[in-house]
Amino acid sequence: MAATVVTVDRDQKPGIGPILLGHWVTLTNLLKTVFGRQASTIQFPEEKRPHSPRYRGIHLLTVREDGSPKCVACYMCATVCPAECIYIESGERPEKTIEKYPTRFEIDLLRCVYCGFCVDACPEEAIFMSRENDLVGTSRAELIIDRDRLIDRGKLVEHGPGYRPADHDVRRPVRIAALERLEKEHGIVPGMPKR
Amino acid sequence: MPKCTIDGKEIEVPPGTTVIEAAARHGIEVPHFCWHPDLPVDGNCRMCLVEIEKMPKLQIACNTMVTEGMVVQTKSPKAAEAHRTTLELLLINHPIDCPVCDQAGECYLQDNYMEHGLHDAKVEVEDKVRKRKVVDLGPIMLDAERCVLCTRCMRFEREVTGTNSFQLVNRGDHTSISTFENRPITHGYAGNLADVCPVGALLSHDFRFKMRVWFLKSHESVCPGCSTGCNVFVDERDGEVQRLRPRRNVDVNRSWMCDLGRASYKEIGLTSRVSGARVKGAAAWDGVAVAAALDTVAAKVKEAGSATAFLATPQGTNEDLFAFRALAEAVGGTLDFRVGDPQAKLRVRSDDVLLRDDRNPNTQGCLDQGLGRAGVAAILEACAAGRVRALVLQGPELLRVPEAVEALARVPFVAVMATHEGPELDRAHCVLPAAAWAEVEGTFTNYERRVQRLRPAVPAPGDALPRWELAAGLLDRLGQPLPAASARELFALVARAVPDYAGLDYRALGSQGRALTPAEDGPAAGAEAGA
Repeated sequence: MAATVVTVDRDQKPGIGPILLGHWVTLTNLLKTVFGRQASTIQFPEEKRPHSPRYRGIHLLTVREDGSPKCVACYMCATVCPAECIYIESGERPEKTIEKYPTRFEIDLLRCVYCGFCVDACPEEAIFMSRENDLVGTSRAELIIDRDRLIDRGKLVEHGPGYRPADHDVRRPVRIAALERLEKEHGIVPGMPKR
Repeated sequence: MPKCTIDGKEIEVPPGTTVIEAAARHGIEVPHFCWHPDLPVDGNCRMCLVEIEKMPKLQIACNTMVTEGMVVQTKSPKAAEAHRTTLELLLINHPIDCPVCDQAGECYLQDNYMEHGLHDAKVEVEDKVRKRKVVDLGPIMLDAERCVLCTRCMRFEREVTGTNSFQLVNRGDHTSISTFENRPITHGYAGNLADVCPVGALLSHDFRFKMRVWFLKSHESVCPGCSTGCNVFVDERDGEVQRLRPRRNVDVNRSWMCDLGRASYKEIGLTSRVSGARVKGAAAWDGVAVAAALDTVAAKVKEAGSATAFLATPQGTNEDLFAFRALAEAVGGTLDFRVGDPQAKLRVRSDDVLLRDDRNPNTQGCLDQGLGRAGVAAILEACAAGRVRALVLQGPELLRVPEAVEALARVPFVAVMATHEGPELDRAHCVLPAAAWAEVEGTFTNYERRVQRLRPAVPAPGDALPRWELAAGLLDRLGQPLPAASARELFALVARAVPDYAGLDYRALGSQGRALTPAEDGPAAGAEAGA
């Protein structure tokens, strides 16, 4: 197998030209940032980048009118999940029209690859993704979030809802407990996805 | 032998075979709901319509006998159109609640829709006829909306159990299946109703909402509940047995199994399993490694020599029994297996379907290997007289017998292989952790001398080992190792030692087992095989 060999002439001196060129780039960026207000960096976490309305961030579960999870524990999300990060245990509800609901619903956010397949697979629009992406915790166990935290995500949801593929043919409005609480308690209305 | 052509394939079948059977036997699946290989033909679902040459209309494959020169098309445009139409009619009032239905994944409606339907529904969910849902019938949950009115459950109750619990009520679109006054199912074969139901109308209460079936892995095995030895599938996920399902074997259990056997999986995953060895110290139990416990037992057995007694268990596989017998013969002690005369009940039926009075799966195996020797009474007598210096039990049955307690207390060393913790284990001096039936490779011999294979479905808890490995460990320490390192090799030794098993190996047993010549009836049957 013939390989292409690149010969580098180590004896050639580059001179001062490239150094000055580098300084010039730095200087123009400095001037742009200080006077032109065109900074490439942002003041995270106070300031956050806008994300696409279809951004796939941390999951959230939607609820029915009575506040119970919309999920019927069909295991479609757990079945399709390529990272196997969704754990569900199902139980029986007394209402004969619904029958089944998740007694446990846990997502291991460290294992999740944020592919959004669970949202695609859900027959009930029970699981969405938010645009939340700063995942911080002090232990691994803390980042396995359970059913109640997925329903009521508190201030974690400030970024607004993200990936929701069936948006265009939603017949019934979907209640997102976390967003409602956010508005009631903190007066924050995150931007809904624009279409 | 009439010859016919099905989908261009020349097929020769015995006279009296129906088209659906002939097709199934040659790998051609005709879609169906009401036909079941072990139930009488009813022909009501109209799903299995096929085109037969020289017949003006489509015929149902389940109730048309194959005749000489018959040419059948199961996939012709006319037949396919009939399948699609039938399915569309069946689905008119189906609630399509697959997400919450436990049948999803093994549902004939789902499978047939994906294969033959794929039509758009013309009836909105709101316009469907509503029927009763979530009716608790004891071991079974009834959902009348999902029913396709195939009457398999009615035929099962009529032909197999003779209980006739179900009946169709109302007419037209409102026809639904029901028991009289919603009375619960009380017979001991209710689990089969969930199995025969092709859709999610009858579902098992025990398995309800437990697991979606596509997560399960099935392992072929044999039920350990009684001497009938029903063939089963052990359905497991991540090392946890979720349910047992009957596996069809026309010669043993057809497609059925009893509810007692079905529930026998529950004891496998219990937290009260013995997962480590322990030896009784000066005051209390000391947990030790299995190897250390085996050292202790081997030393005691060696010391006692022919003053050792061995008691095998009919819960063990043939491989377990063979290794245990080899151990008893190496030491030269007395040997038996009978606690409570299982051999007397071996062929006694408990009911008219499957269950037998002998609740041990392998009593016949014990008899075949000639383990009924000294007699338990003689062993207990020797214990009471202080002539037994060490007692090795393959199962804890004897420790549970109240009359034996006093005699056992006089034995200086009792070792027991146990699967489950229990107060009786305190009567032993050494407990060895044994693997349960779903965790081992092996064979059982049922009441009519059919040798059938078990396959390991789940891992044994902790340090638990198959009983034959424990016996082999003891034999190693006694300086007489077994010339076998696996259950498969051990079975070859069994086949060589027991004349009737000659020529058998795991390959010959296959998935349906191999029937030997039946032993003559009577409690004394068993003295025939010595070796």
